[in-house]
Amino acid sequence: MTTISSAGTRRSSRSRLSRIESRQALGFMSPALVGLALFTIVPVGLSVVMSLYDWPAFGERSFAGLGNYVDLFTSNPDFWPALRNSAVFALLYVPLNLVVALSLALALGPRIRGRAAFRVLFFIPVVTPIVANALVWKMLLQPQGLFNGISVSVLGVELPNFLADENWAMTMVVVMSVWQGMGYNMLIFSAALEQLPAPVIEAARIDGAQGWRMLRSVVLPMLSPSIFFATVMTVITALQVFAQPQLLTGGGPGNATLPLVQFIYNQGFKFQDLGLAAAAAWVLFVLIIGLTAFQFRAQKRWVHYEH
Amino acid sequence: MRMRTPLLASTAALAMLGLAACGSGSGSGGSDDGAIVWDMWSGSQADTDALNETLEIVKKENPDVDVRLQTAPWNDYFTKLTTNMSSGNLACLTSMNGQRLSTYADAFEPLTDADLKTAGISRDDFAPGALDIMTYDDQLLGLPFDVSTMLVYYNKDLIDAAGAPEPKIGWSFDDFEATAQGATTDATKGFAVGLGEFQWMALPIAMSGQQPVGEDGTLALTDPAFADAATWYSGLVTDQEVALPAASASDTGWGENQYSGGNAAMAVDGTWNAVSYLGNDAGFDAGMVDLPTGEAGSTSLVLGSGYGIAKGCENKEAALKVLGSLVGKDAQDAMATSGRSYPARAESQPLYFSSLDKSVRGEVEAAFDAAFADVEAQRSTKDWDKVNTALQPDLVSVYNGQATMTDVLGQTQQQFGE
Repeated sequence: MTTISSAGTRRSSRSRLSRIESRQALGFMSPALVGLALFTIVPVGLSVVMSLYDWPAFGERSFAGLGNYVDLFTSNPDFWPALRNSAVFALLYVPLNLVVALSLALALGPRIRGRAAFRVLFFIPVVTPIVANALVWKMLLQPQGLFNGISVSVLGVELPNFLADENWAMTMVVVMSVWQGMGYNMLIFSAALEQLPAPVIEAARIDGAQGWRMLRSVVLPMLSPSIFFATVMTVITALQVFAQPQLLTGGGPGNATLPLVQFIYNQGFKFQDLGLAAAAAWVLFVLIIGLTAFQFRAQKRWVHYEH
Repeated sequence: MRMRTPLLASTAALAMLGLAACGSGSGSGGSDDGAIVWDMWSGSQADTDALNETLEIVKKENPDVDVRLQTAPWNDYFTKLTTNMSSGNLACLTSMNGQRLSTYADAFEPLTDADLKTAGISRDDFAPGALDIMTYDDQLLGLPFDVSTMLVYYNKDLIDAAGAPEPKIGWSFDDFEATAQGATTDATKGFAVGLGEFQWMALPIAMSGQQPVGEDGTLALTDPAFADAATWYSGLVTDQEVALPAASASDTGWGENQYSGGNAAMAVDGTWNAVSYLGNDAGFDAGMVDLPTGEAGSTSLVLGSGYGIAKGCENKEAALKVLGSLVGKDAQDAMATSGRSYPARAESQPLYFSSLDKSVRGEVEAAFDAAFADVEAQRSTKDWDKVNTALQPDLVSVYNGQATMTDVLGQTQQQFGE
């Protein structure tokens, strides 16, 4: 009897306390909640509404139902190319970025002297302003730039007009983006490599695992949680790419390097059609959420957690 | 979990509030305390200083009106204007560039003769064609403060070194080609093509005598005469090889930069850059002439900027008086003497040349006189701005030989032509 009642009072007092605490917590949270509501939830909600309206930056707004979405998929000349460009960019950028970052992380193993300095070097592009990066790349790549200059004077070969040639522009946007973004993933992989449990590695060594076999069967599976994280994040940033094409190629030539986010920007702020831009933004959102959900589902097959 | 319902409810409430706030924006005078706000672009401290000088003149002429200047850099100015328009916060006196007027026409109160009288301004005060800059759909939506047109700028040093014939006022397109070809060497090109709207369109328009917008205000990019001239223009890169293809669609000032960097002997740009080209950083000797004459005569457009009264301005009469001072004789004389812009007021125009160095004064004046001799009003469609935005990256493909001018004009016409 006594034990039960005492347990009962304790439980009720704890829950009363937690009620008070959660109320207090709510009080402390409210400034942040107001901020979140004002600057995140309301705009997000508003963008749903916007996407259903014919919403010019100024002038009459009218309800359009799903008209904007229908427009995007059936009559807009740039939307499908923008989707295609985003897909092409992601398909090229994500694997390339991961492979380069992982190779760098592996190459900068414990035996390399001054590897901390190398890591800093490879990480610098991530932290320098992208505008500066893009301008430097533009200077390298344009016909009057460094690459063509060297090629003409040394080899006598005229290089293509990289940023204005529809067959090269996307490649160059990807190359520049990989250079810019690889340092971040490299750091993640480096950190994970340092954390690899020594006993496992040692055991594998004793069993005779070496080189490629060691990498494929021991290191990579143990790195898989980091690879998974890096993949998810890189896919998201790839689908959100904007600054590199905007600054390097202006989305051109034609619409050869116009990705989805730049399409949204152009519709909203250059063509002042906010409804269409909002609709395209929701398409992008669904795409990213869908891909991320798929990745989380698929991870069961290849990601190994230690416990 | 428990928080979800109230949070959703409050979110919904906030969203409604936000929507209501958006819906209620219906145009106002911009300032709460009765001051007349003058919204203007300004790229530098020097620009702002000059505007403040103008403001002093305005204040002196209107001691009873509280005028306030508000500035933003050129590109931001139009983004800000868009937001101000959608939230109904336009400044009473809003500056506008003639080429963009069609996009923003809804923002301005049409000016009547009675309004002009209040402002103390007569239509005859302005140079011929100047009022067209601020006219859209037959309505005068503001008063111009400067006029401009397109010129061919050339690098005398490059042309002399190559032994090419120097451009002369009243020249023809054959002369133009001869100079472009003669000045093209291994290191530099005779001409640089443009990506900006009139930086590239000016020559096709001059050659064909045809604007890409019909007299009824419909888009006419596929007009055969204009399309042929545009094809000739892109052929300067692809066929005659007297100009380099643009390096990227993000280089919006491609041709102008090539020219000012000393990589091309000629380029087309507006009279607004005459002073900066004369004192170019590369240090070459710059000259300027009017656009070449085509078989259909010499067609060039009058461009420029002005000030308009925003719709819903609460103190229209005071705003009109300020407008009258802004484009009045004193303000225009001051602008002309400083050499900042070529004024729209006819009697102030000669002062512009007096600001120039004696060695170039005569040449610049002759080029301006020839270029402005018979300019016509620029016609535009409601979405002219969009047409140009859409054309720009496609031009890069054309210059690089991966699309034809005819196809690009056709597609753009189809997209915006209804």
